[in-house]
Amino acid sequence: MKLNIYRYDPETGDPPRMQAYDVQPEAGDKKLLDLLMRLRVQDDSLSFRRSCREGVCGSDAMNINGRNGLACLTALDGLKEPIVLRPLPGFPVIRDLIVDMTQFFAHYHSIQPWLMNDEPLPERERLQSPTERERLNGLYECILCACCSAFCPSYWWNPDKFIGPAGLLQAYRFIADSRDTATAERLDFLDDVYRLYRCRTIMNCTEVCPKGLSPSHAIERIRLALLRRSS
Amino acid sequence: MRLFDGQRAWVVQRISALLLLVLIVFGVLALPFAPPLDFAGWRAFAGGVLGGPLIALLFGALCAHAWVGMRDIVLDYIQPRGLRLAVLSLIAVVLLGVLVRVLLSLATVALTA
Repeated sequence: MKLNIYRYDPETGDPPRMQAYDVQPEAGDKKLLDLLMRLRVQDDSLSFRRSCREGVCGSDAMNINGRNGLACLTALDGLKEPIVLRPLPGFPVIRDLIVDMTQFFAHYHSIQPWLMNDEPLPERERLQSPTERERLNGLYECILCACCSAFCPSYWWNPDKFIGPAGLLQAYRFIADSRDTATAERLDFLDDVYRLYRCRTIMNCTEVCPKGLSPSHAIERIRLALLRRSS
Repeated sequence: MRLFDGQRAWVVQRISALLLLVLIVFGVLALPFAPPLDFAGWRAFAGGVLGGPLIALLFGALCAHAWVGMRDIVLDYIQPRGLRLAVLSLIAVVLLGVLVRVLLSLATVALTA
């Protein structure tokens, strides 16, 4: 199969370039990551992140034929050749397909992604009704691969100030959690022209999420929660 | 309204969009039943009890909607603070100018009718 891969090594001082490869998948190679691992045998200077190889760690997110996705979940069958691989758009490139996620995780950290509850600790766990637990479906599954944020034009324009779809989905995950008592504090933080309201409901995030989640729906729920609070 | 407010600007944008939709659809549907649209006809409509407030509401909603939309575009694309402030001021002056001009015209028409 033919591939065309973005190559960049800051240590050489050369500008980024696209490099053509031809590699034959072997029996059992079903996903793009399998092919990339085979390619690494040919050219060990090619750099990309990978870990779990089954769509759980989110480390092999990249731009595949113009669309963000996880190499480990992208089937080789049906991929148009040459397969064009680029790093996640809008993120600073460290090397080849590896991008700098520092700012992305700083946004994630800013929404305080942990349960906050000032009520006395129960003897055992804090219980939830099945309905309360159901509200977390479609939110807790996010693996922070950044496919959504890196496909969001609003995030490209304001990556330093807009939290982005991934961070906002995670923010709503804690707002929606019945065990969290810091909803007012969380909403106060989000009610900002940059942090939340740079979202224009373009919905690229929902379109591209490899886990089938809908960050744009979560963002809408945050806006409605803010509206309910102020009315 | 704070210049860079989050939620209120979002609400203003949606309410003004709804008003624009209703007024424009109403206007287009009413057009076939309206008298001939010559200068005297428009003048009589603008000076009327219903026409004047409707036109004022239409332009009010239009300017509010345009302000939030243009402000969003400026916040996205113009990063230098000085230039951003200058462009925002220019947009505000133009939109306020349009609104004041429309309101003055309506008042003149109403008073001279």
